[in-house]
Amino acid sequence: MVSSNTDARTAIRGWLQENVTGGRDVPDDEPLIDNGVMTSLQTVELVVFLEDTFGLVVEDEEFDEENFGSIEAIARLVESKAA
Amino acid sequence: MRARPEFTLHDLLHNSVASDPHRPAVVDGDAHHSYENLERESAALGGALAEAGVERGDRVGVYMEKSWEAIVAMLAASRLGAAYVNVNPQFKAPQVEYLAGDCDIRVMIGDTPKLEGLGPKTIQTAFYRGARPEGHAARSYVDVAEALDGGGLAEDRKVSESDLGTILYTSGSTGMPKGVATSQRNVVVGAQIVSTYLQNTSEDRILSALPLNFDAGMSQFTTSLRAGATLYLLRSRLPGDLLKALRRHEITGLTGVPPLWALLIRGAKSLRENPPTHLRYLANTGGRIPQANLDELRALLEPAGTKIFLMYGLTEAFRSTYLPPEEIHRSSPEQGNCIGKAIPNTEIMVITKGGQEAAPGEPGELVHRGPTVAMGYWGNEEATRRAYRPNPLAPPELLDVERVVYSGDTVKRDEEGYLYFLGREDAMIKNQGYRLSPEEVENLLLGSGLVHEACAFGVENPAVGQDVIAVISLRDGGEEAVDKIREYVIENGPPYMVPREILVRDELPKTGSGKIDRKGISSAYANG
Repeated sequence: MVSSNTDARTAIRGWLQENVTGGRDVPDDEPLIDNGVMTSLQTVELVVFLEDTFGLVVEDEEFDEENFGSIEAIARLVESKAA
Repeated sequence: MRARPEFTLHDLLHNSVASDPHRPAVVDGDAHHSYENLERESAALGGALAEAGVERGDRVGVYMEKSWEAIVAMLAASRLGAAYVNVNPQFKAPQVEYLAGDCDIRVMIGDTPKLEGLGPKTIQTAFYRGARPEGHAARSYVDVAEALDGGGLAEDRKVSESDLGTILYTSGSTGMPKGVATSQRNVVVGAQIVSTYLQNTSEDRILSALPLNFDAGMSQFTTSLRAGATLYLLRSRLPGDLLKALRRHEITGLTGVPPLWALLIRGAKSLRENPPTHLRYLANTGGRIPQANLDELRALLEPAGTKIFLMYGLTEAFRSTYLPPEEIHRSSPEQGNCIGKAIPNTEIMVITKGGQEAAPGEPGELVHRGPTVAMGYWGNEEATRRAYRPNPLAPPELLDVERVVYSGDTVKRDEEGYLYFLGREDAMIKNQGYRLSPEEVENLLLGSGLVHEACAFGVENPAVGQDVIAVISLRDGGEEAVDKIREYVIENGPPYMVPREILVRDELPKTGSGKIDRKGISSAYANG
């Protein structure tokens, strides 16, 4: 299990490239949902990945665009849960 | 009292403006846009489109995320007698460039990053939302924000219900999408029919969670427009956002595809504690809801007064059947996938291979007759003749002028007239509410230049309908090429077209006639 913020970012970036964006680098602040980068189903898969990798649980109410709108936001959520 | 007869999409707009100009037509984020605004801004954009040379009968592309501007764009085109073409915002350059060529889109209204992704001279004029695009996708550029502020059309062009209203692109077996040419009449009658059985009124607050390029997503907009209701645009379909939107906007109507319900159900605990009491109806389309999900939705929502409609539609005829809420028990593991009865003013026939009306219980092809039967596939006479055929049950005295749609779906009818979906003849994959042709996936794989032969097929996965699986042989190189292929597919196709698994074989099995044996390969996969 990893928990530092840098690791969260790296893990999220890696997952995105492998599953969503291909070779393209996604800036940490790029809107993922509003710009249609990631679909809802892909986000569900990302949540499963994060829950498995970091041993955390994402509650229904926090599973939203505010927390999943960018790499930055997701990393913040992971970090707050790991803290 | 409707001020105007309903012939065109913009007639629906004018009536709703006349009855309540200040009511919000569209809510996009925090912005509320009244019907009066919709009228004014669609006239403004219409004027700018006319200035850019858009003539009656032309096709105008709309390539943007669901937004106020995307709604305005449809009406602006309609008021000019032009057809709007809502491009799937998930499409990547190869699909969009193909579409623009296929139906000769010269003017495209789009989000800047999407327009920037297109190749040089894909279109003539780009109306951009955002910063001025870099690159050379278009010869000239117009800022949408400025166009919406402009003086606009003095009056609507002369447009009739027989004019082309829109082209809805759906997956095609030639490896590229095919366009269903849909008339103004199809669009308007579709809105009349759907708003009748869903009993929409101006009091409705409808949550738009489906894309506008999808027939049912567009239908939510047109029914809302006709009813003079308020449409809430939702781009994120994450459970937290769905729950918040339902409550915050006191949503009364929601239409979705099966994966959306799975997302909603993730919020079961929250729904149980704080049920969305304003939600009058929920309507499913785009495939069967897994029974466990349906049972859970019913348990969560019916006690709070929500009615659940199960719908079935073909893009080729917009909408076809629905099962009313009081009959929902008919769709069950014992009885099968009940899709109900024909929508109002429509007849559904079950036709056997011999061309006769099937007896109760006897399987046959679903054939749709009624005013939503579209004009045909754009620029594709052969496919049009295959799907749009003379009414098999018409009296000979009427000759063969009436066209009905052969759906390709096998159904049966019970003694009481309810229809049950049995399957499809062709190899179409149903993924996330999309009907996807395996050829389109194979074409995308081959486009990578690394694939020698490709075979795609669907494997049942109740969560999404079917997963896309691809079996390929490589031109050269080893297994490491798969990562590159995957990367190519992700960058060049929409997410629902990306195979869940890509398996490599030395060579793909062929049928007697030398074609790749899709059936054999998919059953070998199913048997492990």
